[in-house]
Amino acid sequence: MSLILDQVSYVYPGTTHGLTDVSLSIEPGELVAVIGQSGSGKSTLLKLVSGLSTGHTGSILLNNEDLATKPVHLRNIGVVFQSYALFPHLNVLENIAYGLKLRGVPADERRRRAHELLEVIDMTPFADRAVTQLSGGQQQRVALARALVINPAALLLDEPLAALDASIRGHLRDQIRQLQRRFNATTLLVTHDQEEALVMADRVAVLKEGRLLQLATPKILYEQPASRAVASFVGLSTILPAKVLATNRIDLGFATLAANTGSRSAGSAVFALIRPEHVQADPAEDTPNRLTGSLGTERYLGSFYRYDFNALGADTPILAESRTVAQNAIAIAPEHIRLLDH
Amino acid sequence: MKRLGAWPAWIFLALFFLAPLVALIPEAFDGQGAAFGRIFADGLFWGAVRNTILLGLLAGTLSTLVGTLIAIELARQPEHRRQWLMTLLGLPLAFSGLVIAYGFILAFGRAGFVTQLLGLLGADSARVGSWIYSVWGLGLAYAYYLIPRVALSLYPVFANFDQRPLWAARTLGATRWQAFRDTVVPEIAPSVFSCACLIVALTMGTYGTALALVGTQLNILPLMLLTKISDGGSDFAGAAAMSLILMLICVIVMGIGDVIASRSQKQVAGIGH
Repeated sequence: MSLILDQVSYVYPGTTHGLTDVSLSIEPGELVAVIGQSGSGKSTLLKLVSGLSTGHTGSILLNNEDLATKPVHLRNIGVVFQSYALFPHLNVLENIAYGLKLRGVPADERRRRAHELLEVIDMTPFADRAVTQLSGGQQQRVALARALVINPAALLLDEPLAALDASIRGHLRDQIRQLQRRFNATTLLVTHDQEEALVMADRVAVLKEGRLLQLATPKILYEQPASRAVASFVGLSTILPAKVLATNRIDLGFATLAANTGSRSAGSAVFALIRPEHVQADPAEDTPNRLTGSLGTERYLGSFYRYDFNALGADTPILAESRTVAQNAIAIAPEHIRLLDH
Repeated sequence: MKRLGAWPAWIFLALFFLAPLVALIPEAFDGQGAAFGRIFADGLFWGAVRNTILLGLLAGTLSTLVGTLIAIELARQPEHRRQWLMTLLGLPLAFSGLVIAYGFILAFGRAGFVTQLLGLLGADSARVGSWIYSVWGLGLAYAYYLIPRVALSLYPVFANFDQRPLWAARTLGATRWQAFRDTVVPEIAPSVFSCACLIVALTMGTYGTALALVGTQLNILPLMLLTKISDGGSDFAGAAAMSLILMLICVIVMGIGDVIASRSQKQVAGIGH
């Protein structure tokens, strides 16, 4: 089952903002994450696909069928909410079996299939518990089982880990990913947590102010961001305004560096993107792109240091990560300086 | 205030609730409970019990039904309109039972304008005009000020209702009605039921409106009690015994409501976010 959004636009009632021309396609069994800050429109996108919100223009196609006129209860789309949204008056097994009951599956069969799902989420002993007695992580696993038991045509995850403690988030993240693969569920994940998106998704869409900035694999998004907005949202970085001096030579104002300028002509204004892990601490004197200066704020993170380096004459510090801290010089290899046009 | 703690409240409770109650008990049980024997043997008493319970159930059900619908509507209104509606709804609560009774007589009594209008349409105004003095009419008058009470006390339940389980039910394949039945009804039923119990108990004990509207024509416990101690009557032991019975009925009804409410509290406590 594929999920295709074609030029989807939506305006919040009574305002002028919403979603503008969002197009993306999710292949069968693929997990696409949509990331963006709150207010970027990512939750709206999910509500439109689920049918809980209506009134968009453009089309949303599930398995090549336009969902525009299909009411929410006939879409067969499983949704997992940030707040779990379990039914408090039903026990664990009844919660999972609810969707089957609505589909008229006989009681015995319902029980069997709900038990199967319980086993998959590793919660068999909890079948008869009240959902109110479960921890947040357990509640979210039950919510996932409840969404998967109906064999949904698509699975929508709305910030599924945001309400959970950091300690169980990592574990549940892996479990959700495993289940999603096992059920081969076409999945749309909405999150504000870029790390969650990079770790879980096959492809990531960056949304800002209702517009899709870039849709790419996590690796491409991180290494070849399309714009400053994407680069600053995905991972840590230093972005410096620069000017192309000549082929493969840029001017940062306080220093000139070697970098791949591509087909840009001399004089073009660009931005230089430097990821912290590409900053070399105290390199040899003859290293290309060597900048002298002094150490700023230093943060010890166990396996490495994250620190600010104040290059001589620069207004903004350069963020760096390495096993040792640079005392008076850093260098960035030319191939690791990425130029962005906007 | 802090140094006094809750003492003023306790003293008030002791003086104006416990002391009269304690005074009732020896009065009622005077002469080895002869008063109970006397009223239990009185056919009028059993008629009054029946009418009182009927009135309680009638006014309670009607008020809860209409009040709940208003509460749902209130919770759906935008903030400014809700404030305005709540003020309006609060008005009948401030009226005295006497005012309400006279209002009903002027509207629905034998010479009431609604009765006369219905008469013009061919209704028998004698029958319509006496209807207001029956258990049904009295129930309707009670509902007039109980409906706002139900609406205002239940409105927070609907305003704070977590809609997300309802959405979840919809995505799992429930129609609007099925989702309402499976998520909203089980969540709010205990609150509505316990509110209904309180209203029923309140109705059974009220007498001001009843007295003003029907005098002592209608045989209900509070009015029967009144006749035992006012003007001609002086059966204080019988009145005390009836008071205790009326109180017992009200306590049982309210107790049922409390049990239901606390059970649902226990169930909902601990739902994680």
